[in-house]
Amino acid sequence: MSSTSAPSGPFANIFLRFGFLIVFAAFFALFAVWNPVFVQGGNLMNIVEGSAVLMIVALGMTLIVATGGIDLSIGIALDFGAAFAVVAMKTYGLDWFGAACAGIIGGSLVGLFNAALVVGLRISPFLATLSTFFIGSSVQRIFTNGGGPISHRRMPEEFRNLALGQIAGIPTEAVIAFVLAVLYFLVLERSIWGRRIHAMGMQRSAAVVAGIRVNRILLLCFVLASATCAVGGLIAAANIRMFTPLSGFSYLLDAIAAVFIGAALHPRGRPNIPGTVIGVLFLGMVANGLNLMGLNFNTKDALQGIILLSALALAVAQRKARNG
Amino acid sequence: MGHAAFRLSGIVKDFPGVRALDHASLEVMPGEVHGLVGENGAGKSTVIKVLAGVYQPEAGQIEVDGQRLSPATPLSVHAVGVRFIHQELHLVPHFTVTESVFMGQERTARLGLAKREMRRAAEAFLRDALGLDLPGNRLIRDLGTAERKLVQVARALIDGEAKVVVFDEPTAPLASNEVDIVMEAIARLKAQGIAILYVSHYLSEITEICDRVTVFRQGETVGVFDTITDASAGDLVFAMVGRNITDMFPPKGSRATGRGLEISGLTDGAKFAPLSLSVGEGEIVGIAGLIGSGREEFVDTLYGLRRKTSGHVTFDGSPLHIATAAQAVKAGLVLVPRDRRHDGLVLPMTVTENATLATLEDNATAGIENRKAARTATEAQIQALDIRPPNPDAVTRLLSGGNQQKVVLARWLATSARIFIFDEPTVGVDVGAKAEIYQLIEDLAAKGACIILSSSDPVELQGVCDRIAVMTRGALVGELNAGEITVDDLVAATTGAASLAEIRDAG
Repeated sequence: MSSTSAPSGPFANIFLRFGFLIVFAAFFALFAVWNPVFVQGGNLMNIVEGSAVLMIVALGMTLIVATGGIDLSIGIALDFGAAFAVVAMKTYGLDWFGAACAGIIGGSLVGLFNAALVVGLRISPFLATLSTFFIGSSVQRIFTNGGGPISHRRMPEEFRNLALGQIAGIPTEAVIAFVLAVLYFLVLERSIWGRRIHAMGMQRSAAVVAGIRVNRILLLCFVLASATCAVGGLIAAANIRMFTPLSGFSYLLDAIAAVFIGAALHPRGRPNIPGTVIGVLFLGMVANGLNLMGLNFNTKDALQGIILLSALALAVAQRKARNG
Repeated sequence: MGHAAFRLSGIVKDFPGVRALDHASLEVMPGEVHGLVGENGAGKSTVIKVLAGVYQPEAGQIEVDGQRLSPATPLSVHAVGVRFIHQELHLVPHFTVTESVFMGQERTARLGLAKREMRRAAEAFLRDALGLDLPGNRLIRDLGTAERKLVQVARALIDGEAKVVVFDEPTAPLASNEVDIVMEAIARLKAQGIAILYVSHYLSEITEICDRVTVFRQGETVGVFDTITDASAGDLVFAMVGRNITDMFPPKGSRATGRGLEISGLTDGAKFAPLSLSVGEGEIVGIAGLIGSGREEFVDTLYGLRRKTSGHVTFDGSPLHIATAAQAVKAGLVLVPRDRRHDGLVLPMTVTENATLATLEDNATAGIENRKAARTATEAQIQALDIRPPNPDAVTRLLSGGNQQKVVLARWLATSARIFIFDEPTVGVDVGAKAEIYQLIEDLAAKGACIILSSSDPVELQGVCDRIAVMTRGALVGELNAGEITVDDLVAATTGAASLAEIRDAG
């Protein structure tokens, strides 16, 4: 019980309803006025392209959050994806397709390990994936003798094109992210599996009684999320022609932020793919806009924190307004 | 007559898809015990939350002691002397009586807490205002439920500012001999001129203690009754449900007797001994037993929620392999669980989402949902089961207990299940919905389903079942023929007051 009451009045109502989109538009306008370069087609494409890897990682995170858990090891899955692919090409001479498959399999191993901990040993997802994160980080350091990158100068052109190529004038990585987002949308928001995932995420015991095989769903979701993050790793490796150990970690917190901004946008507070996409693009826009404003990049994280807080606070206010 | 202690008038409160209160009114005079009754979903809890300032109504007025509160907030309501005794106790078990009474409102002396003064005040208040002699240094965990209830009351009233006290189902967790303690305390408060709103499902208590009774039905005030006598309790029920419930239980049909479900030697190796039971097709078999009799664990094990250590189950002679709930559902054995809000429904989901959760494939093409088909199927179920509000998009959290139970049932009726376990199907369900659920169970049996009804309500077991298996202390002690026993016999059997042989001989 709380003594604060929801604000009222026509303006407050509009703001509550479309609050986040208004904030989004306001930032967009601010950046555009400050520096007209911001709204040029090339720059907007930069934002989309620059957000592709985060988008892919955030899709996987959305899936895990929808099951009612969290995955702190998505960065490890990304790193494993990159490492397996680079080593497959450099040491074993596989072509780009073989390398991509190796990367995705490598990432999936992380998901399998998580699933073994969560389903098999019944450890909470938070602690299980935290352990995976520690172990996976150490494995990378050991494998690279302390964390040095593995570069591969003569990377096949097709593999490099995962990051640098274009399909119909659109950067390949953006196309990959878009296709994955559509697939994730279909699975999570339109399929019967998505319905089951949401049911178990919201109230696991009721899902069990309803005959849903929650352990199987958890296993599949952890593997699928890791495999997806490995795709992000492929793109990251293609971009710089090397595997940089422990680089996946930088996506973790942004991905969590994007998922919860997205959940806050949903009328019932559910993690959802369109919301995650908006969250990712919003974070990308803010980073890009601040850059063009010439602001110290150090302020980016502070701003991102404020934005996340505002989105969550708005969501609470919205739910309060709806429920009286 | 002076002015009312509080008066709500023309209160309207909407939730998404539901009008919870529709110009409801409620008035309580000082020194009056006023009953508030109504079926689940009639708007009782909503009106209390409006009075508490937790919900802001769309329309209507709230007056306390002749003064209008606008808006009513939890703080302003508290300030004018309205106190709430919630159903849950919210007491810390290892605090003393004094600490509990003064929690959050401690009195201080020059150096720290005025412990002795608080203890004297708490003991005096409990003795004088509530009629309970209780040392202030006793721990909450050593108290009986009724005593804890009165400590909760003392905590709300110790500041002496209370003018209106709202009791929400105060006797629900109490044994029958404890009820008198609470009733006595309420009578004392009344004598001190405090206005009391008494919300309860137990009509016998209402008729005993209340001066007047307000009846809610579907968010409206349908009547205010003066001086209720036992003779007019029927009128009260009629006002609540809008119809006469002449017979709560449907007539029992003639039973087919296929082989049906056969359980032999089932045990979880811990809470109940190996147990054998058969349920013919079209038969309703009850499981009676107190808390701790192993009844709940038996149901959970049969459904695959607990690990069985031995025993096997067959249906029409062929074995059923059930180690998980998913396998049970696949085998056509379904459970309407006792904890509906926790295990029965995904509360944040809509009626459609819940009602189709076990039959998702039926409303999908290649794994992609056909939401229109799901909605249409659910609309048909809503009509068949009379789920209110008739809105497939209503969030199930906001439905009343009886309607929530119907949604659980709708989900299983959509499957081709042949074996139904009902675990406490009418707990927290109002009179009208109860009768409907009994009819649905009878209809299922008439269609040849095997039905197990596990219940703590002997009236329900005797009224609905053909046979009743009695469990005490983790063992099935025998079966009784429902037609040959009385409700009293059943109570005697479950409490161990009489052996089954004695009961059969007497019958």
